[in-house]
Amino acid sequence: MTHRILVVDDDDALREMVGLVLNSSGYETVFAADGISAVDVFREQNPDLVLLDIMLPGQSGIEVCREIRSFSGTPIVMLTAKGETDDVVAGLEAGADDYVIKPHNGVELMARIRARLRPIGDDAGTVTIGPLTLDPQTFEVRRGQEPIPLTPLEFKLLHTLAAKPQQVFSREMLLDQVWGYQYKADTRLVNVHVQRLRSKVEEDPENPKIVMTVRGHGYRAGSDSL
Amino acid sequence: MISLLRRSLTARTVAVTVLLSSLAVVIIGGFLSYSLASSFYQNRLAQVLSETQRAVASVQNTVAAASLNDETALQTLLNSVVPSLEISGGSGDRQVALLRSPDQGQLQLFQSPISQSLDLSTIPEELREEVRLSGDSLVYTPVELLVDGQPTAGLTVGAPLQIPVAGEFELYLVFDLSAEQQALVLVQNALAFGGIALIVMIALLSYFVTRNLVRPVEQAAQAAQQISEGNLDQRLPERGADVLALLAKSFNKMAGSLQQQIQQLDSLSRMQRRFVSDVSHELRTPLTTIKLAGEVIFGNRSKLDPALTRSAELLQDQIDRFEKLLGDLLEISRYDAGAVVAEWEQNDLNAIVGAAIASIEPLAKSKECEIIAELPAKPVKAELDSKRIERLLRNLLSNAIEHGEAKPITVQVGENAQAVAVCVSDRGVGMTRAQLERVFDRFWRADPARQRSVGGTGLGLAIAREDSALHRGWLQVWSKPKRGTSFRLTLPKTRESVIANSPLPLPPRKMEA
Repeated sequence: MTHRILVVDDDDALREMVGLVLNSSGYETVFAADGISAVDVFREQNPDLVLLDIMLPGQSGIEVCREIRSFSGTPIVMLTAKGETDDVVAGLEAGADDYVIKPHNGVELMARIRARLRPIGDDAGTVTIGPLTLDPQTFEVRRGQEPIPLTPLEFKLLHTLAAKPQQVFSREMLLDQVWGYQYKADTRLVNVHVQRLRSKVEEDPENPKIVMTVRGHGYRAGSDSL
Repeated sequence: MISLLRRSLTARTVAVTVLLSSLAVVIIGGFLSYSLASSFYQNRLAQVLSETQRAVASVQNTVAAASLNDETALQTLLNSVVPSLEISGGSGDRQVALLRSPDQGQLQLFQSPISQSLDLSTIPEELREEVRLSGDSLVYTPVELLVDGQPTAGLTVGAPLQIPVAGEFELYLVFDLSAEQQALVLVQNALAFGGIALIVMIALLSYFVTRNLVRPVEQAAQAAQQISEGNLDQRLPERGADVLALLAKSFNKMAGSLQQQIQQLDSLSRMQRRFVSDVSHELRTPLTTIKLAGEVIFGNRSKLDPALTRSAELLQDQIDRFEKLLGDLLEISRYDAGAVVAEWEQNDLNAIVGAAIASIEPLAKSKECEIIAELPAKPVKAELDSKRIERLLRNLLSNAIEHGEAKPITVQVGENAQAVAVCVSDRGVGMTRAQLERVFDRFWRADPARQRSVGGTGLGLAIAREDSALHRGWLQVWSKPKRGTSFRLTLPKTRESVIANSPLPLPPRKMEA
């Protein structure tokens, strides 16, 4: 199966070059040159992943990200020329799964894309955590009968925690197991996504019962008794 | 009190003024009171002497007019003289004594008549002797009287009297000076009161005058202090047209031009930093394209002919170098803009040193350079930004490899109560004193002609110094030509602590020898 990737960047040369690199790795590519058309192209082409530049004419990558997230859980990887704290955090909070700082190399870009397109292991069975049921075959999370929409990344994060409810996961372990980072990466990825996840699955995100913080260590799934 | 005098110009001025004016008041008051007292005394003395003169004359007249036959008549006459003298004076109370000079043969039974309340101790024996020797003139002496049990000043005047038949007598008049004394005390009290009032007034006056003069100066001092602390908007109020207004005006003018220049410099340097940062950002997008394109070409170099293959390799290397330079430029511009925030975390310095050595190992191997790490057995904990410190150490290590001439490089780690330290030492070419002074300058190279093999950006040590300053640490260097170079990084253990001394010596003991 060929994955289709939407590349959103206002720089023609870079857009074409990224397209060449992706094509040579066997991905199908579609393009958008500004923030307004990006969402239309997304709806038309229904890509499997979005590579999204932050600085875009029309509307910024962060707004595009927020808009796509309002109706789709498709993985989004931000490309940022800045690498400054504010942009990265804003992008992650808008729903991006990961980010790559320019200038990046092809290997790095491919690694991030592959990690986001990799399916959750097929052998994984249905897991319950507190009132939630997770089905990795359908990516469905239910609270009783009520389905909760999660992006694949959020599902993977919750599933990773829920599969071993007794284990405390450090941020580095989660970066490795959920994001596929082999080396030390930005732990803000974990922090921001845990917050997003909590806002969806917790009844009271300020007082989490499902994704618990273990101070100084990381996170673990809430105990079954809750 | 002393510190107040030292601190406050007003207090000092008032104190000195009060001191000097008190001295003047005491001197003038003392002189006045002394001259008043002596003029009172002189007046009274003159009066007393003339009264005595008259008394002596009247006694002699009385005696001469009477026809004295016997001792009893004389006694009666003289007895009557005393009361008449007591009252005939013009100046209040006086007491009289008519004493017979001792050692005379006749009239053994004669009694000397004296005023009733007279205390004979007011007529001292010395005075009597003087009177007897004086011939005709009057002799006086000041004495102390008891009036109603109170001691007061008095004056005793004596004169010799020649009385026919009876022989030599002495007439004494004792005058009471209490009226004069009271008047004198009154005047002295008035003087003292006036003096104190004067001093208080002078104190107040000098306070207000000094205050008026000093306040603008104090304001100017405060404003200058504020400006030196960076509060450039500080100005002085300009009132009137006197010298103080001139001071305020000049001060404000100075502050204004200072502020203008600083703002100008500030905006210039901000523009410049902005420019560097913008350029770096703008370069990133094309660089990304170039990099990706270069990778594609490099990845397919086996399909190219040899010259193109080499070109692809050179392109790839230089793109990497360009990227590194851009990264360093961005980092230093972030420092210049004050936009760097450390990510503080409790870390093991040993682990960071280990990671830095591991990442530089390939380079060290290619230069056949051995890295000897002397680390303490237990973890060396400190609160620091591990990414920055690792980058800093990588930088020091790659410098050591570049200049180390393939001789072993030593990395030491140490700690004391407040600080941790790493020392990276090579035994290579070293630097002269002049070179040492510029070692942290941007884009500075010890020897421009020297072959650059490692390919540092020239910003490494400048960034390293900023990184260490961000941690409030020290980055110090020791070097001797042909002996080697030693960089020592000392960092406080926590964000709050301050370094007093480094746990490691610089240069390391082995280098010193």
